[in-house]
Amino acid sequence: MKYLPYVLKHLRRNWIRTGSTVMAMAVCIFLFCTLQTIIAAVNYGLKSASASRLVTRHSVSLVYNMPLAYKERIAQIPGVKRVAISNWFGGVMGLPPDFTKFFANFAVEPEDYLAIYPEYVLSDAEKQAFFADRRGAIVGPELAKRFGWSVGSTVQLESTIPPYRIGRPFEFVISGIYQVDEVRYPGTDGRLFFFHHKYLEESTRNRAGAGTFSIEVNDPERAAAVGKAIDAYFENSDVRTKTETEAAFRAGFVSLAGNLALLLNGIGIAVTFTILLVTANTMSMAVRERRTEIAVLKTLGFGSELVMALILVEALILGVMGGGLGLVLGKAMIGVLPSLPLIGDVARAFPNLGLSPLIAATGFGIAVFLGLAAGLLPALQAYRARITDTLRTV
Amino acid sequence: MSGNGKAPMVAVEGVKKVYRRDAEEVKVLDGLSLEVPEGDFVALMGPSGSGKTTLLNLIAGIDRPTAGKVVVAGTDVAQLGESELARWRSRNVGFIFQFYNLIPVLTAEENVALPLLLTSLSKKERRERALTALKVVGLAERSQHYPRQLSGGQEQRVAIARAIVADPKVLVADEPTGDLDSKSAEEILALMETLNRDFGKTIVMVTHDPRAAQRAHTQHHLEKGVLSL
Ligand SMILES: Nc1ncnc2c1ncn2[C@@H]1O[C@H](COP(=O)(O)OP(=O)(O)OP(=O)(O)O)[C@@H](O)[C@H]1O
Ligand SMILES: [Mg+2]
Repeated sequence: MKYLPYVLKHLRRNWIRTGSTVMAMAVCIFLFCTLQTIIAAVNYGLKSASASRLVTRHSVSLVYNMPLAYKERIAQIPGVKRVAISNWFGGVMGLPPDFTKFFANFAVEPEDYLAIYPEYVLSDAEKQAFFADRRGAIVGPELAKRFGWSVGSTVQLESTIPPYRIGRPFEFVISGIYQVDEVRYPGTDGRLFFFHHKYLEESTRNRAGAGTFSIEVNDPERAAAVGKAIDAYFENSDVRTKTETEAAFRAGFVSLAGNLALLLNGIGIAVTFTILLVTANTMSMAVRERRTEIAVLKTLGFGSELVMALILVEALILGVMGGGLGLVLGKAMIGVLPSLPLIGDVARAFPNLGLSPLIAATGFGIAVFLGLAAGLLPALQAYRARITDTLRTV
Repeated sequence: MSGNGKAPMVAVEGVKKVYRRDAEEVKVLDGLSLEVPEGDFVALMGPSGSGKTTLLNLIAGIDRPTAGKVVVAGTDVAQLGESELARWRSRNVGFIFQFYNLIPVLTAEENVALPLLLTSLSKKERRERALTALKVVGLAERSQHYPRQLSGGQEQRVAIARAIVADPKVLVADEPTGDLDSKSAEEILALMETLNRDFGKTIVMVTHDPRAAQRAHTQHHLEKGVLSL
């Protein structure tokens, strides 16, 4: 430890070089954390998707709603067991809206929706309380914890979607907090907010329409065929539909999740490799400049191992600083992701975003590894350098 | 051996040093012997390429002879392994270089305290000793300055403080005044005389400058790898 000031002085004296290396490393770790978090969020969303459920939406785009009357017609198609309307509400708390407190919220048909989605576990009493209260809402346990809500708490949300804006916030009373059962229903999102679709219809004077229809089929094997039948049924209507399995729907939402992950990982690896080269170059430059100094240290009696360790520690400190800064940036970025234009829309579909300890630890580990790897060769050179070869050239 | 029965501080016996450059062998030292009694101040002179630096490196334990024996402060240097030798150097030899070789990112005080990092002294003790050494060379008030803020002569004095801070028995100096103007050179030589006379350091100095050599008690001439008086 008594050698630490010596190492730090070198880093401080070359602060431009130190700073730019740390920044480069931080950007690398920042990218890693952000990309991995997005991939994790996408995978998490896909994991919870069920193959026995279909989602029907407007054939043009998710932003267009369909007539409410479609519900009855879909229900009559063979193979369909149950249908529930569900609208992405896009509500935000606060005046003006505070996007840092963003969470996903949906207007749903309570009975049908909860029957189709058994993963939102509620007691019968809670369900009845929810069904009975037009302004009632049920929320996930993580969401309740985040905002300190309990049954009876009131929440005000104002939508960001024009047709749902009525000049004042919607008011809700929490009727229940659903449970998440990770064993029976892995990947269930504990941060969602559901309220009555009827409340939305009434408040918007029936301008709301149906955003999506969630459909449970009798036989999961026939899910794809049922989906085709639904779309065929509306083929010649004004508003045509597009029906997918829930998994495909969610994957489509982030456009080809598999390829996305591949692409993001590819970028991550390329960036990491580049940073490794940059850092290795920095370190070997730093050591080459110090050839004489290293020979002098050895002359004064510093052992080869010690000299090598000093250089490794220097590289390690670069790694630790780069990793630390990268994590801070990554955490901040992931925090604001849902409120960014374009990207935010995607991010909001997967509201379980947050820098997980595993990703953070991996990112930090990569930074430390980068530092050490970059320092290894120069450190070995310093270890091997012979006093008599170097000081002769002074 | 030495006449008065006391073991000499430096004893070089029949030392050969051969450098191998590809297939070609360069004989630099060829059966050279030299004794330096404790407390002596020796000047090594000789033309360029005669092997002065090579000999000094052997005495200082930063290189090993091809054949022969080098005993310094009672230790047979050639017998020690790489890391033992490093530890031995840190305790027994002080180094003064032609180009000072201070570490640019460290202050004068930190430069001087550098060899003490290898000891078990506390931070406070290291500081105190470094300041004492800087006082000896008359630069106590420059302790917080960086090498580039010092003149060449001052840099060399800081380097001398570094050489004596761990209180070694032997000082080796390779052309310590080679890069200095005559006034600074004079100061450095006076300082080395003081270290020899008042602090009892045994000094081996390589120099091209006859006036510098004059300040030593004994002068040796190297010519093609052998000594001549
Ligand atoms: N590492 C080495 N490899 C090969 N040859 C070497 C090496 N070190 C020294 N020599 C050769 O040994 C001879 C003596 O070198 P040395 O440095 O001891 O001379 P010197 O007397 O100190 O000269 P100068 O006065 O120029 O400093 C030279 O011919 C040099 O080229
Ligand atoms: Mg020389």
